[in-house]
Amino acid sequence: MSNTLNYPELAELIRARAGVEIDPVELERPGADFDEFGVDSLGLLGVVGELENRHGVKVTNGAESAKTPAEFLALVNSAVTAKAGA
Amino acid sequence: MITGLGVVAPNGVGADAFWKATRQGVSVLDRISREGCADLPLRVAGQVRDFDPQAVIDSRYLVQTDRFTHYAMAAADQAVADAGFVADPEHPYAVGVVTAAGSGGGEFGQGELQQLWGKGPQFVGPYQSIAWFYAASTGQVSIRGGYKGPCGVVASDEAGGLDAIAHAARSVVHGTDAVVVGAAEAPLAPYSMVCQLGYPELSLVDRPDRAYLPFSPDAAGFAPAEGGAMLLLEDEATARRRGAAVRAYVAGHGATFTGASRWAESREGLAAAIRIALDRARISPEEVDVVFADALGIPAADRAEALALADALGPYAERVPVTAPKSGTGRAYCGAPPLDTVAAVLAMEDGVLPPTPNVTEVAHDLALVTGRARPAELRTALVLSRGLMGSNSALVLRRGEPD
Repeated sequence: MSNTLNYPELAELIRARAGVEIDPVELERPGADFDEFGVDSLGLLGVVGELENRHGVKVTNGAESAKTPAEFLALVNSAVTAKAGA
Repeated sequence: MITGLGVVAPNGVGADAFWKATRQGVSVLDRISREGCADLPLRVAGQVRDFDPQAVIDSRYLVQTDRFTHYAMAAADQAVADAGFVADPEHPYAVGVVTAAGSGGGEFGQGELQQLWGKGPQFVGPYQSIAWFYAASTGQVSIRGGYKGPCGVVASDEAGGLDAIAHAARSVVHGTDAVVVGAAEAPLAPYSMVCQLGYPELSLVDRPDRAYLPFSPDAAGFAPAEGGAMLLLEDEATARRRGAAVRAYVAGHGATFTGASRWAESREGLAAAIRIALDRARISPEEVDVVFADALGIPAADRAEALALADALGPYAERVPVTAPKSGTGRAYCGAPPLDTVAAVLAMEDGVLPPTPNVTEVAHDLALVTGRARPAELRTALVLSRGLMGSNSALVLRRGEPD
């Protein structure tokens, strides 16, 4: 697995951790936000925890409070990339 | 008044299946088959089978909840559908939720604590913050249904299952249109079972037909159970306006407290609860057509219950039919009295006294219904419950008027 998270992987993590099935294409749609899918911050916190454990990093930039999938990907990927570049 | 019934019980999922098994007097007590439970000294219980949470509840709610909440959500859905009730999205504050809980979500909590100590704190999921908590079922039923009226959790021991119904009835009197109320428990998981092993009243008998024999000379404790029931309680005028059928009225309730495992003292406490409930319902002892007994299943507690009935009902106590269908399912802690309430409503509707499974010999001066169900004209039912920690409650139900 590459170090950056993509939409299909995010969809799978949300399904496993928050119990919500979302088509990755829908996640990627411009303007999509987590509210419309019924994914709340506790659900995203579970996804963040899983990513932290996988990559051995701490995501401290508030990704779990992201309102949109695009924002969430940007935040977690920046955290993971920063660690890879360190 | 009661307009809808929902059940997830060891002897049936759905009020119809539950009632069919209850009136037949089927005993479903059996060896516990859950993972990790085989080597514990508690062998026999009432386990819910034929329940697939995935089939009835969206997975987003399943991942964040324990089994006890799965049962409550499923039973709540049934009760609301049974009542033909559709909440008005314009009036979310008109519907409330009340549940009772004895222990919360032990199974979920155990899983997360195993993550904590087995792998480390970063492996504990965020839903540990809510899933094990005894208020989880009220919260999730409220969220799923959009019910934003008065919500609460009654934590008053096993008898809290009746106190919750009384609490909901008070909410309705104070102006709430409808309350989803009841209790469901899930005590059959390793950690939860270990917690129960300290109860001196727990039956460790390993034969399913001998483990729980309330009121009999062989009473040796109670077998626990999981599951429970939810009801829809509605304001009568509002319910009638929408054409709902009245299943039964909550006519009176009384609650007292006499201390943990002090069964001799529970005689006085339970008798007082019965008197208060009859008084509130404005009925005389002779108007009680059936008693759904607490039926704890140890001689001292059974004797205290028989004497409490004699104290509160007088000589009529030896004649009034008494039944304890839970001897065939086990005691689902707070879920047990709502199950008895559902059974009482259905018994009154059907004109049938359900029997007390497995019990053939009665060691007390009670007209216990044993063997087979029998027909009877039932207008008023008295449901009793006591908790291991000392609570005693009585609820009087009156039959709804046929349309």
